[in-house]
Amino acid sequence: MTARTLIPRIFSYQLTGHPWSARADKLQSATGLMLASFLVFHLHFESSILLGKEVFFHLVQILEGGLFTDDGRGVSAFTQIFSVFMLLIVVLHAAMALRRFPSQLGQWRALRGHLVCVKHKDTQAWFWQLATGFILFFLVPAHLFTMILHPEIGPNLSAARVVQDNFWLLYALLLPAVVIHGLIGLYRVAVKWGLVSNRSVLRKVIKLLIIYLILLGCASLLAYVVIGLDLPSQVSPYISKI
Amino acid sequence: MNQQTTSMSPENASGRLLNFHIFRYDPQQKGDKPRTEVYQLRETPGMTIFIALNQIRQQQDPSLQFDFVCRAGICGSCAMVINGLPTLACRTLTSKFKQGDITLMPLPGFELIGDLSVDTGKFMRELAERLKLWLHPHHHEIDVHSIEAPMAPEQAAALYELERCVECGVCVSACATKQMRETFVGAVGMMKIARFELDSRDGRTAEDFYHVIGNQDGVFGCMTLLGCQDNCPKDLPHMQQIAYLRRKMAATIL
Repeated sequence: MTARTLIPRIFSYQLTGHPWSARADKLQSATGLMLASFLVFHLHFESSILLGKEVFFHLVQILEGGLFTDDGRGVSAFTQIFSVFMLLIVVLHAAMALRRFPSQLGQWRALRGHLVCVKHKDTQAWFWQLATGFILFFLVPAHLFTMILHPEIGPNLSAARVVQDNFWLLYALLLPAVVIHGLIGLYRVAVKWGLVSNRSVLRKVIKLLIIYLILLGCASLLAYVVIGLDLPSQVSPYISKI
Repeated sequence: MNQQTTSMSPENASGRLLNFHIFRYDPQQKGDKPRTEVYQLRETPGMTIFIALNQIRQQQDPSLQFDFVCRAGICGSCAMVINGLPTLACRTLTSKFKQGDITLMPLPGFELIGDLSVDTGKFMRELAERLKLWLHPHHHEIDVHSIEAPMAPEQAAALYELERCVECGVCVSACATKQMRETFVGAVGMMKIARFELDSRDGRTAEDFYHVIGNQDGVFGCMTLLGCQDNCPKDLPHMQQIAYLRRKMAATIL
């Protein structure tokens, strides 16, 4: 195990600091913080469907820049631009986070052996973050490409996407993976940079938030399914009653 | 030793029976294979794992290998994995384990000498040489006539707090990052760097320290799994110190 560390190395690039080590760590935390914060807002915005079609419709108009248009209607191109921006952030975050993945089989074996031998909650939490992070490599681009190619959002159109286009499957897989990954990530960023000293309280808050966000996401997904099942095969956009 | 056993008070004699599942393997012995052996021992009041191991060695199996020196949590020799937690055997009471089953494994990540004995010394020395863990004074010329600069009592106290590390190796074994990447310096290395960074007598600048730990094997390789923080038998503030170093090192690079 220690054979390599025992070889005396007068000068090796591994032994000297590299500016990108600090930059990569900062970028990983910063992009992660952005993505996790966005996730919390995103889940609440899309869950406004639970308050009715009207509320959701108007929220979408505001978020799509309706405040700046003459007729108060949102522009779906805004969703496209924002999705491209989010995709870039995800790519950057993934590139930085890849440093953390065990890349060799021996490292996986070491990790497995360690998890079996040493019982430690935070290490187990990291393992779940690692596993969900890997899953997100495949699920997040699918979600973002959908929003880039078909950016139409509305009570009827979104419900049609969930039911008629069978996107419920993507969302059902994405929801727990992204919530677990993002929230454990928030916890890690907080303790990593020394922003929080009381870990036990933070851990409880994070646990409650994970449960709350998954329940919220499930409830709203169910709401879209219920709406979607009632829609005709030719879906027309929702028309505001106000 | 038999005399001691028979002279136990009645309440001791009725102590519960403990089952020790101990990892056994002697790399020096040809053909020896890693295995777990079970030893039974009657519990006595205030029994620590260290006391139990000595009794097992004296009464049951003289070939059992484990390390100890001070039996008081000062030397850091008796660190091992006890029921999944790396810690010091001399500071772990058997009464802590309600089931009476105690599994002992050697610290992972170190060269195995035999059974529960690992070579932490070789690792610590290599780490000290690699990270240059000694005082680098501001001036190299020694002038015996010059008056030593005074140190504020607060700083001395803060230094002493970080100096309490006994190099037991628990933080190294408790760290999954270290287990996956053998060149990672681990919490013990970072703690010592933090100690010299704090020391006003040390002439090294933040940039100098960046050259040593500003990489994937140093502070930016740490994934904040906090096995070090949660298992350190001396309760050293690893989380706080690594976060401090990370901020400090990150601030030296834009």
